[in-house]
Amino acid sequence: MMWVLIISELLVFGAGLLAFSAVRLTDPDGFAQAQQHLDRTGAALNTIVLVTSGFLAAMALRWRESDRRNLARLALIGASLLGVVFLVIKGAEYADKAALGITFETHAFFLFYYMLTGFHAAHVVAGILILLLVAWKDAPRNIEAGAAFWHMVDLVWVLLFPVIYLFG
Amino acid sequence: MSTQVLLRAWLFLIGLSAASALVAHELSDVLDRRLVGMLILVLAFAKSRVILTWYLGLSQAPSWRRGFQVVLGLYCCVLFGFYLL
Repeated sequence: MMWVLIISELLVFGAGLLAFSAVRLTDPDGFAQAQQHLDRTGAALNTIVLVTSGFLAAMALRWRESDRRNLARLALIGASLLGVVFLVIKGAEYADKAALGITFETHAFFLFYYMLTGFHAAHVVAGILILLLVAWKDAPRNIEAGAAFWHMVDLVWVLLFPVIYLFG
Repeated sequence: MSTQVLLRAWLFLIGLSAASALVAHELSDVLDRRLVGMLILVLAFAKSRVILTWYLGLSQAPSWRRGFQVVLGLYCCVLFGFYLL
């Protein structure tokens, strides 16, 4: 069941990134100029935060399977805290855009930017709640499902980051 | 999955992420734009492979892993095609 969700989510984000790439063809210079306003350093830092969080989620399952429940719970809480760090950095990025008067109506680039990164951030929020839930109800099957959802969020970011932030 | 394998996967992901940042920040003015785009996508593909194989456990399901890699590889090629146009 979790794999059905993972594949569906990958298809949704995949379609979104393809649409972004196709629309960019209509105004490559405008897209390149708009991209200059993005905070690449913050986004790169967020990649580190998210893959580290994914590592903790993977370790949680490993520790739970070897009956180290407290360690597993701590790892899940650590993973969700890093998810919060991701959201704080993302929030600061959105605040910077707002201060510059950049909204989703400013340019087509920002419509896709807000839509794709916002939808991803919503998944991060859901992932944090799921990780905390499985830290509480910590059967190995639950942790496996929660960690798989979190890795999917990680995987989406790994594909979203280069296309939105780095492709100039 | 053993702790050592997961730790290695994490370190590999950190290294690939650092390499992406390096390519985008330092090499974009030096190298051809197409080469930079290709390097960035290859690094993203490598990261997705690590996550699928070691974090999502597809190392235990080789046929699924191959399927995902082929589809993701083709997807990255399409993205690169758009980038070149």
